[in-house]
Amino acid sequence: MSISQPQTKRAEGLPVASCWNCKGAVTGAHFCAACGKIQPLPAGWDYFKFFSFPQKLNIEPAALEGQFHILSWKLHPDNFVRATEFERNLSLERSSELNDAYRTLREPISRLEYLLERLGVRKEGTTKQQAPPELLEEVFELNESLDELREAREGGGDVAGLRARLETAAANFLDKLAEVDAELAKLGREWDAAIDSGSKSAKSESLVKMNEVMNRRSYIRNLVAGVQKELAEA
Amino acid sequence: MGRVVGIDLGTTFSLVAYLDQGTGAPKCIVGPEGLAVCPSVVSVDPNGKIIVGDAARQRLLTQPERTIYSVKRLMGRGVSDVQSELKIFPFRIDPGSDNVIRVRLGDNTFTPPEISAYILRELKSWAEKYFGEPVDRAVITVPAYFNDAQRQATKDAGRLAGLEVLRLVNEPTAAALAYGLHKQKRGHVAVYDFGGGTFDVSTLKLISTTEGDIYQVLSTNGDTHLGGDDIDNALMDSARREIREQFGVELDHRGDETQVLRKSLIRAKHELSTADKTLIQYPLAGKGMYVREIQRAEFEELIRPIVARTMAPVKMAMADAKLRVNQIDEVVLVGGSTRIPLVRKTVGEYFERAPHCELDPDEVVALGAAVQADILESGVKTMLLLDVTPLSLGIETMGGVVAKLIPRNSTIPASAQELFTTGVDKQTAIDVHVLQGERELAKDCRSLARFQLKTPPGHAGLARIEVKFLIDANGILQVAARDLRTGEQHTLEVQPSYGISDTDIERMLEESIEHAEQDFAERQTIEARTEAETIVAATVKALADPRSREIPSEERGAITESEAKLRAAMAGSDYKLIRGNIDDLNQATAHLAEVLMNGALQTALEGKRLDDV
Repeated sequence: MSISQPQTKRAEGLPVASCWNCKGAVTGAHFCAACGKIQPLPAGWDYFKFFSFPQKLNIEPAALEGQFHILSWKLHPDNFVRATEFERNLSLERSSELNDAYRTLREPISRLEYLLERLGVRKEGTTKQQAPPELLEEVFELNESLDELREAREGGGDVAGLRARLETAAANFLDKLAEVDAELAKLGREWDAAIDSGSKSAKSESLVKMNEVMNRRSYIRNLVAGVQKELAEA
Repeated sequence: MGRVVGIDLGTTFSLVAYLDQGTGAPKCIVGPEGLAVCPSVVSVDPNGKIIVGDAARQRLLTQPERTIYSVKRLMGRGVSDVQSELKIFPFRIDPGSDNVIRVRLGDNTFTPPEISAYILRELKSWAEKYFGEPVDRAVITVPAYFNDAQRQATKDAGRLAGLEVLRLVNEPTAAALAYGLHKQKRGHVAVYDFGGGTFDVSTLKLISTTEGDIYQVLSTNGDTHLGGDDIDNALMDSARREIREQFGVELDHRGDETQVLRKSLIRAKHELSTADKTLIQYPLAGKGMYVREIQRAEFEELIRPIVARTMAPVKMAMADAKLRVNQIDEVVLVGGSTRIPLVRKTVGEYFERAPHCELDPDEVVALGAAVQADILESGVKTMLLLDVTPLSLGIETMGGVVAKLIPRNSTIPASAQELFTTGVDKQTAIDVHVLQGERELAKDCRSLARFQLKTPPGHAGLARIEVKFLIDANGILQVAARDLRTGEQHTLEVQPSYGISDTDIERMLEESIEHAEQDFAERQTIEARTEAETIVAATVKALADPRSREIPSEERGAITESEAKLRAAMAGSDYKLIRGNIDDLNQATAHLAEVLMNGALQTALEGKRLDDV
């Protein structure tokens, strides 16, 4: 599989800084265009910009991987073993950023979460969970079953029967999860369209919707994880 | 700057290799026994002299209390970690040990990195003898599943041996590199590395780009305490039990008789790789002979659980890489234990294909390390290794729960940031506990280090310190802190949970024998002189031989003159001059050597030197 060079894009909206080595203008690129020296990460950069991608939620996996390989080749500490300590540190900084960026952008969910965090819609580290209203009854039943299973384990009740019920419930919720993911995919396409059109209102509407669905997703996922954990112990 | 080598610092065997610029292929360097493998055994003489390798292995039988093997099992671990090993391995742990193990050998104690440093130094001297030049830098391999402390200990060992460690490379990745060069294959590769003391499995993707080849590790898993040693121990347990039953003798697991038995069991194990049965005959002093025929089938039953243990990490690595068995294009076997037929069969069955073992499983890791060493040294990159960190990195939070910062199998270098602030008013320090592992609770994970962030007294929540955790290309953690309010670097005092502190390493470097030992040139001179003495003695003897009268007198004169030149050179310390004169004398005496053989032998001994006769 051979990879062709992407076209270098000018990073938009970033202050033009000067290269620490030759004082030439650098616009957030990985290397100075004039002297080729590796550059520090500019403030305000994000993972999308790192890959020279627009802030769109649909990313062609092969394109991302291709860029990842090209950038790995260029930025890896192996290239800087005999360079100055300053450059070695820059290489460490950029290649760890590259790997973090790739890890995040690779999976659709982490990609979306990252976007929401960058745009201030979602606070990093805090996952709000929202019980989907249409599922409240099932959630209630599930929690009841979990309690019963715990009691049964201690008191010697019908563990097998309760396990079976929980397994069905878990499977049910996994289906719901798949539905949620499908909805997120649709919303992702809407976001991308809003990016293309440039409509501010479309963009903010899209963000709000996606955030809400993500909250629901977190809730369901934690539910399923809890059940699986309980089942694993029985 | 001196030469660069790749080193496989193994549990049972260690090797050193370099990249032959002429052929473009890596090559192992052989030691004085003519073998590429150096047993990872170290022995200490009563007068303090250190012996490494084959000679030390002999001493396992005669002076086990001064000799140590499999020291890799102790690297980066604390005393409490190795308690279970002590029942099986004759490690003599000094009571003064704490979070750095100290091993007693004879009258002295040593830390595991110091012992490993002796092995590295031995390999270094092999390479220096081979090149005729100093060696000062190396790429050293480690098990992929080694944690931070174990990696740091390996780096410390390199430093103590006088080597700048250019990079630590994971063993399966190094093997994949050697294999990839050899086979020019692309696609998904699984490396199954079953060595003397550690087991690793890695999945990789080999890609060709317009710039060069990329070896991208997708996942890695393993067990740092699972290896050929465990198979040997299983055999030992079985034999000792039978000896107890048959003879009523209890073999002391620290004694030399145990080592003799172990040696014959290892030999039997090797034989069972090609034969269906083997015989052990072990004399018990004054009690008779323990004679035992071992069938291969019986051996396989005995080790089946050990081999089975290797499959759990294999499955996890495949799951983490999100690969199905039919997506793996090639399977590579590494490590001496993969010579066992049951191992090959088990691996082949799981991956549904015959595993590759064309490359010598003992050498392949060192060869890969040599390739990487050359890349780093020459700056000419034809391939890139993208490796991963094997264990999740996290910090301890409220309630003893671990918050994961960098997940396992993240490509390295990898980083994560965390913002810290004070929890109560007037708090002057924030304690941070860094751990590695997959479990939820800090107590179940591996403690890596603790550090404190000093904060000026103020309201709770006022301090804002950003800590950056970075796992470098060696898989070792670096931590840096920045005060967000001032924008300045924040001072950290990092206390590693295991291992030797930097100050202690400095002290060891000062105290170590390295400084008492001769420097490179002096050592070369001594070796050259020794060789010269041998050939001079042989020449003198040859000229005294009556048959030497057959050579013409001019030739005799030339020999005498060359001998005199060599003697003169020996009196000085120019080793290159001495070696040059050795070569001249060899040439001058070549004909004489021939003459001293009778006609029938002459053809057979063509090309032999005088001191071979």
